[in-house]
Amino acid sequence: MSAMAKTDGKVKRLTDAELAAMTRPAKISDPAERRAAVKRATSGLRVAARVTRSLYRPR
Amino acid sequence: MARPRGRSAATRGVFGIEDPALLLPERIALDTSLVVRALIETQPLHEACSDFLERLVTSEVTLVSSELLEAELAEAAFGIALAERWRADWRRHRRDGRARRRGRRLLADVRSRYELLLASADHGAVPIAPIAEDASALMADYGLASYDAVHAASAIAARAEAIATTDTGFALLPASLLRVYTDRSRVAACRALRPQR
Repeated sequence: MSAMAKTDGKVKRLTDAELAAMTRPAKISDPAERRAAVKRATSGLRVAARVTRSLYRPR
Repeated sequence: MARPRGRSAATRGVFGIEDPALLLPERIALDTSLVVRALIETQPLHEACSDFLERLVTSEVTLVSSELLEAELAEAAFGIALAERWRADWRRHRRDGRARRRGRRLLADVRSRYELLLASADHGAVPIAPIAEDASALMADYGLASYDAVHAASAIAARAEAIATTDTGFALLPASLLRVYTDRSRVAACRALRPQR
């Protein structure tokens, strides 16, 4: 029997209520402010090492 | 100019994040690999990953992630501190307390940046316990590594249509379960990994 049959399409999905309870709305609503926030979040942090997968996730 | 013959290559549910014509899903899962590259300016693919996050946020795409992502960001911060001091030998110095101060500072910085990113979008963090069984099934059925399986099961549970990642491992899943949005250098490798059925 194909192993794929076990989970294909059968992985648990959260219900609408569970999804709603889990989701936090954005605190920033203005598109320009959102863009600026992402720019701030992703600019200026420099490190002297290359982050490889093994630094944060074991195989 | 002659047009290339034959059918264009099937996407197999794998798409390049640099493509300006890429259609964005309503809900996308974030993998640690892409977040780390986006938040840290000195990492390869930083620009592609941060530009893609900016595009998601300004397009009001809902972001989802596993709770594991925050733990991995912390692991990355302390790993960077060790690697800065010990280079390739960092694993042998895991208990070196001299790197912890730098690790704590890095962690605080990375965390505040991640929170700022999440403040810009609707976001849901999926706990590990409810998806643990499905993660094991994804490992058994498709050969995903354990942590990849946790991220994938979380994405599917939260009804994300795709995962944004720079790891090819997620392409072991069939496209019907999860699309893969990755940098253009990994698109071909991901498509080759996709199960045929």
